[in-house]
Order: sequence, then structure tokens, then C-alpha cells
Amino acid sequence: MFIYSIIVATLTSLLFLTQSLKKEAMDVFIEAPELIVQRMSAGRHDLIPVGYAEKILSIPGVSSVEPRYWGYYYDNLTGGNYTLIARNIDALHMVKGTLPKGPGECAIGKGVADVRLTDLNDVLFLSINPQQKVSLKVVGIFTADSAILTNDLVVMDKNDLVNFFALPKDMATDLIVHVSNASEVPTIAMKIRRDYPDTRPITRSEIVRTYENVFNWRGGMALTMFIGPLLAFAIFAWDKATGMSAGERQEIGILKAIGWETTDVLKLKFWEGMAISLTSFLTGSILAYIHVFYFGAALFAPVLKGWSVLFPPFNPIPYIDLYQIFVIFFLTVIPYLASTIIPSWKAAVTDPDTVMRS
Amino acid sequence: MAYPTPTTITAITAPSAIIAVEGVSKIFNAGEADEMRALDGVTLSVAKGSMAVLKGPSGSGKTTILGIIGCMTRPTSGKVMVNGKDVAKLPEHFLTDIRRRTFGFIFQHFNLIKGITVKENIMLPLYPTSIPIHEMKERADAILESLNIYQKRNYHVEKLSGGEKQRVSIARALINNPEIILADEPTSHLDTKLSEDLMDRLSRLNGEGKTIVIATHDPLVYDKPYVNRIIEMRDGKVIGT
Amino acid sequence: MIKSKIFFSFIAIEIIVIAFLYTDANHTIAARNAEVQSKRELVRKLSLTDFAVFTEARYTRHPSQADTFSAFQDFPSSMDHFPAGSIVGPQRGNN
Repeated sequence: MFIYSIIVATLTSLLFLTQSLKKEAMDVFIEAPELIVQRMSAGRHDLIPVGYAEKILSIPGVSSVEPRYWGYYYDNLTGGNYTLIARNIDALHMVKGTLPKGPGECAIGKGVADVRLTDLNDVLFLSINPQQKVSLKVVGIFTADSAILTNDLVVMDKNDLVNFFALPKDMATDLIVHVSNASEVPTIAMKIRRDYPDTRPITRSEIVRTYENVFNWRGGMALTMFIGPLLAFAIFAWDKATGMSAGERQEIGILKAIGWETTDVLKLKFWEGMAISLTSFLTGSILAYIHVFYFGAALFAPVLKGWSVLFPPFNPIPYIDLYQIFVIFFLTVIPYLASTIIPSWKAAVTDPDTVMRS
Repeated sequence: MAYPTPTTITAITAPSAIIAVEGVSKIFNAGEADEMRALDGVTLSVAKGSMAVLKGPSGSGKTTILGIIGCMTRPTSGKVMVNGKDVAKLPEHFLTDIRRRTFGFIFQHFNLIKGITVKENIMLPLYPTSIPIHEMKERADAILESLNIYQKRNYHVEKLSGGEKQRVSIARALINNPEIILADEPTSHLDTKLSEDLMDRLSRLNGEGKTIVIATHDPLVYDKPYVNRIIEMRDGKVIGT
Repeated sequence: MIKSKIFFSFIAIEIIVIAFLYTDANHTIAARNAEVQSKRELVRKLSLTDFAVFTEARYTRHPSQADTFSAFQDFPSSMDHFPAGSIVGPQRGNN
């Protein structure tokens, strides 16, 4: 029963975590750019000429186009990958301090602040080579509860970023296209591709879909984690089904001999199995809830974390999907019941006099 | 399934015979290499209210015939009358019913269920019935008192001594208030004193009007003066009554 | 039957705990609504597209922006040796 609870807890933890992350992704990326235009070169994501913006802007339905400057920085010092973004925005709720107002300033994610032991007003020094380096004063740190979005960010002034990465003049990382009517996004994406065959437009729905896939219970996560416990459970159930002990068989024989019918025996076994699986299921679900929502899925984090140096602490919002709980219920309780009842039935239909011959 | 219709049939199934077995054979694993003929044309009868002993060495078929009389298994051929009903061909459901109402079993190995208490073991035969739970408890308590194990009622059976287990298995056999008590080698795991004790109890039950059939090869059982019928068996056949 | 009483009380306690957790969940969702709103603001103003969960390599950082074969970006036959690769499936249909 302990093993059973643990298996249920593992499966349910996984469901809770993925469901929560998925729901959160759906909730927040609804505000992601409607359309992002990347340029592809030799099959790779490449820098895009800012000049493309003019022609895209002329497509009916496009309300504005703005270049986005961002890139990755591998920090030799800490082994972390930072995401550098250039945005000039006024204020945000989830930041302690302010956002960069001009060159020489930056706002960093909690993760970056932690690994670099940097606090407000300290200086963050980044360097790729002796020519490409920058010193930035930390004017803001993103709050811990935003870490899932901001943990590895370094937000800085556009000129600092362009110089640091030595981006060619009039080139941006990609373009954000704002569309006034969301239903026109696919048409506009198509038109952009036609005008600039070397581009790849990514729509918001594709972004959202990515997260639907990543944190889907049938997705990649399932392959790594869901299948494991499920197989373990199958083995466990199979073991029970095939390995009915002589003692259990004897018990059934005794019950039959003293006047129980096959159906009485099956009823007993059914309720016995039901009691065990219900208790285990409830216990497992409670453990899973505590594990995921009070302890931030501490047992799964190392797996998800992989080799990341900057890993946001999970503090998932408890979005519970009852449908998924039913799925778990049927995936665990029903096979267990079947695996206890079928062998009992086999034993119960035999003549009870076998108990007299042991 | 043809069996001879002897002229004695009326005598065998006379009202006084609560059990009548006629030409019963039992073949285990029929048609296979390890085919075993456990019973070969057994005919016997036990009068109501008697105390009968099935006597014979191990392998003589005593346990098999006891199982057949007790409706736990069916004969390969032959006729088994219990209380005037031919049970050999009744469907499973009726057999269970007869088992529950008519018979109380005392097994060689006690066959108590581990992990539950003495009282729960004793009440087991009553669970499938419609008897209300408080009455089940009253009955169990009464029997426990009469067998002098009331103080152990909440013990788990694996904590009991051999004699206590024997008394629990008697209590379980009695809870249905059966007409017939079947006992399979009941003394084989008991010392002399406990065996005597058991026989005392069985003879007292016999005095209360219960029919008792004991399969044994223990002289301590079949030499008792109150045993009024001895059926001797050997190699699946009745060799003397 | 003492055992059945224990069992039913245990089940009852578990159901109470679950009911409590469920209300706790709803409560937390309501309480953290402001947080979700702030995160939306973050996403909107910083034009973010991805969770900062898989930061181990640059090609895992933005799953929604990645190329189909970005695992081989660093040099030919550079295998995808990060665990995120086993979690994030390849992008389809937007190349």
C-alpha cells in the first residue's frame, strides 16, 4: 500500500506540476507578441535587417513593427547562460528598483543576482572578449515570484546591447509585429513570408502551443517521467495478478468451505481492493499536492533542472484539473482492482475441498 | 453417468439416514498421466443423530468422501443424498447453501484466517447471510463462552495455542447451528489430553442431537464407546461397516 | 468492527484534508491573481515568449523560438546532450 501511494503520488505530482505550468503559460503568454518575425539564413535563425519593418508595416492590418534586440551570454565565471534583452520601458510591478533608463544601467533576474552575488547599485561586468565587454550598474532586480519568467534576464539599454554583441548596423535579432485584429494574424504571417521568403513568422498561438506540448501529460515530460512510474505500476499489478500466494488461495478455500459463495468472496476481494486503492489514491494525491504546491516539486526539480545553473524555484499556482485526477484514478484504481479480483475469481471457482489437502 | 440401481436403495435412503452415499467414485486428473482414483464405488449411510467414524490409513479416501458429503467437491459418478436431496448434481449456488446451513467443518489444520481476531473468525460463516450484525455477535459470544475461550475473543488467531485454535475451529463449525458436523483428522495436531477434550465436546454435541462424522486413523477416536458406527476404508473402497 | 471504523475515519480524514487542500488551491489561485496580472505585464512589456526554465543551453532557452535542428547548432554532429532535449519536443509546422 505504501508503494501504491508513492506511485500515485509520483504520477499525480507530475500531473499537478505540468498542469500548473501549462495553465500559467496559457495565462501569461496570452500577452506575448502576436507575431515575431525571424530571419532564416542557411537554415538558421539569423539577424534581421531593420529595413524589413517598413514593408511589413505597409501590410494592411499591421499596427506597428518594432525591432527586438536580444541574445545569449554564456558567463564563464558561473557557467550560467544569461538572456540579454534590450528594452526601454518605464516601470514594472515585479521589479525591485527601476528599469534601465539609459546606457550603463541594467535590471537583472533574481537568478543572475544570486549567482553573481550582486545587489542593487552593484556593477555587473560582462565580457565576451577584450573588445566586447560592458559594465552595467544594477538598478533593478526582478522579484523572486517572477523568476519563472525573469530568472536569467539581463535587461539593458539598446545601445549597450548592440555594442556588446557587436551587432551590425541596422540589424536586429527579430521583429515584433503588432496586429490590430488578432484574427488576421495568420493572413499577415502568410503575407510576410511571401514578401520576405527568408523569414519565419512565429505567431502567438504557436508560442502557446509550444507550452501546451511541453507540459502536456502526453508530451515529452511524460516520456521521461510518466512512463516510468506507470511501468512500475504495471509490473506491480502484474506481480499481484500472477503471484497469488498459496496463503491467499488457502484463505479463499476456507471461506468457500465454510459456506461462502464465489460472489461473496469476490465482493470481499473487491472491497478489500477498493479500500486499499482508495486509501492509496487519496494518500498519494495529498502527498502530491503537498510535494508540488508546498515544496515546489522538490523531487522533480533536479530532473527538470538538468545542467542549468540558473534554475527558477518552482512556486506553481495550484490549478487543479479534476479531469486529470480522474485519469489518474482510472489508471491506478481500475487495474489494481482487476489484478486483485481476477486471480481471486480463478481461485474462488475451484472446489473448496482443496483446502483440506494442504 | 450410469450407476447401478441396487434394490437396497429404499433402505439406504430411509428417513433415519441423514447421509446416504451410493456407488460414488472420484477420479482426480481424469485422462491424464497422473490420474488417481481416490474413491471407487463407495456406498455408505449415516443415520441421523449418530456418531460415525470413517476409519482408514492415509490415502484411503476418507478426506475425499468427507469433502463429497460436505458438498465441497462433486463425485465423478454416483449419488450423494443429504437430508434426502441428491446433492451431486445441484448447481454451485445450492451446494453453498447446503454447506452453510447443514454442515459445520472442523479441519485438520484448523484453517483459521490469520490477521483477524478469534471472534471475527467465528463469525465468518455468517457474513454472507442476512443475519444482522448484533445477532452475529451475540451468537459468537455465546459459543465462545460455552467453549471457554471468551476471554481470548479479541486475540489474533496466530497468537493462540493449538488447543485454543482447535476450540476456535469448533466454535466456527457450530455458529451456523448445523445438523451435521464433519471433522477431518481433528486430533492429528493435538496431544492426548486435548484430543480427549475434543472428543468429550463432540460426544456432548452428539448428545444434543447433532450428527457427527469424523475421518481419522487415531484409535483414541474410534475406540470411544459412544462412537456408534465405524466405516472402515482402504484404497478408496469401504471394507467394513 | 473496530478496523472498519479506523478505515472509515481514515478515509474521512483524508477527504477532509483533500477538501481543505482544494479550498486552499482555490484560495491561492485567487490570492495570486495579482501575481499573474503582473506576469502578464512583464510578458507584454518585455515581449517575452518563454519561461526561463531550460536555461542550460541557448537552444533550449526559448523553445518557442528555436529551429527544428538547433541541437546541431554548435558544430556538426553536436548531439543534444542536455536533459531538456528529452523534455522538449521539436517544433513542427512553423519553419
